[in-house]
Amino acid sequence: MSLFLANESDPIAHIVDKGVLGFKLFDQPVMLSMITLAVCAIVLYLLMSKAAKSIATGPASMGNRRFIPIGAFSALVEVVIVYLRNEMLIPVMGERLTKRYLSFLLSLFFFILALNIVGLIPFIDIQDAVYGLMGKHFDIKEHETSAIFGGAATASISVTGGLALVAFVVIQFQGFRELGVKGWLEHLCGGHELVHGSIFLWLVVPIIFIVEFFGLFVKPAALAIRLFANMVAGHTLLITLTMFGAMAIKAGLGIFAVGGITAVSGVGAILITFLEVFVAVLQAFIFMFLTAVFISLMSHEEEEGHGEHGDADESAPASGHLSQQPAH
Amino acid sequence: MLIASTDPLAFNLLPFITTIVVFAVVAIALGMFVWPKILKGLDDRNAKILHEIESAEAARAAAASKQKEFEQKLAEALEQSAQMIREAKSEAVRMGDEIRAKSEADLAERARRAGEEIENARRTAIAELESHAATLAVSIAGRILKREINPGDQKRMVEESLAGMSDKSAKRN
Repeated sequence: MSLFLANESDPIAHIVDKGVLGFKLFDQPVMLSMITLAVCAIVLYLLMSKAAKSIATGPASMGNRRFIPIGAFSALVEVVIVYLRNEMLIPVMGERLTKRYLSFLLSLFFFILALNIVGLIPFIDIQDAVYGLMGKHFDIKEHETSAIFGGAATASISVTGGLALVAFVVIQFQGFRELGVKGWLEHLCGGHELVHGSIFLWLVVPIIFIVEFFGLFVKPAALAIRLFANMVAGHTLLITLTMFGAMAIKAGLGIFAVGGITAVSGVGAILITFLEVFVAVLQAFIFMFLTAVFISLMSHEEEEGHGEHGDADESAPASGHLSQQPAH
Repeated sequence: MLIASTDPLAFNLLPFITTIVVFAVVAIALGMFVWPKILKGLDDRNAKILHEIESAEAARAAAASKQKEFEQKLAEALEQSAQMIREAKSEAVRMGDEIRAKSEADLAERARRAGEEIENARRTAIAELESHAATLAVSIAGRILKREINPGDQKRMVEESLAGMSDKSAKRN
């Protein structure tokens, strides 16, 4: 997002992914989101390592204090992990599946959260400002930027699509591992009871198979599109608000009118930024949580316990008490 | 400076693959080196808290048992002390009675002895007084008679006077 360049005409232009200074990899332009992904991954790993060091049990020489986490960040990480594990994942997936997939789901949640939060900080504008102060000028082409880090990576369908593909692979891996090929195919045909039921029930099996087969791809696609659309929408709104001042100047309004419009749109942008922080957390949670739900649907417990899985989208989570799905 | 495409849905294969690779690497690294530490720390703390709660409950049960035992012993001690006080009081009363009886007997004995001594002293004094008075009377009588009274006469006269005084005393009593 480029708040300082918001006087340009198209707000979407500030959000879409761009090449970095003409760098190429395999004859393809190196995109800003790629560097942001790598930096976020490294920063996330370092921050979480620090938190882990603080949360982990210390040496016996520390006495009872070895059980107490040190620092607010570690306490926050701990609270989030405990809440996700105990209040969200175990009720949906059960102890066994939670234990198996907890590392993956926590990584997914914190990685998306880091990307979303970084997207809210105007790193590109900060770099542009620094370049301006240093008097540096880059000869950049179309679809390129002089910044080497920043931007909302999750506002790129390529990034969210990659994450959704990872989720898809893990969900199907769970299906094959838990149900086997035969069970997986039965799952696609409506489940064991339907396949081995009355001959009349077979009439609906082709329909269910088609729905379920497309559902395999629709579910992760929905994950990708939801995250992408929310990030694009939020950042577009933010950029649009910051453009009002420049639009007022271009329109030739008086200084009071420009000041008033800028002040109102600035306050609006600040409030929307708070909302975007909430959305960043919420969307990371939804992506992770729905992945957990889809994984849990691919288990024997789901087959035996619920039987109904044909409508296994975000409107029908595995656990009854989680029926109120957050939607954004 | 920034120049951009206006198509947000433009799909780019390189960021797509980069996302998968970067996420796989970070997920594996976190899964190997970070999450196990954090989860073990949480589990250790849970175990510690559970252990402490169980220990506290055991200590409380032991304390309650000890308190019950102590209260029982205290009740027994109170009963014993009350019994000892009762016995001491009884003994004190008995000893008091004994001492008082003994004192009264001793006092009576002393009074009796004092009476006897007084009586003896009175008799001795009367006897001495009578002897002295007789001697004095004889001496006065001799002076009156102007004659020599030999010791035999004197002894006889004294004895006669004493006899007469004894008779008078007897008559007076």
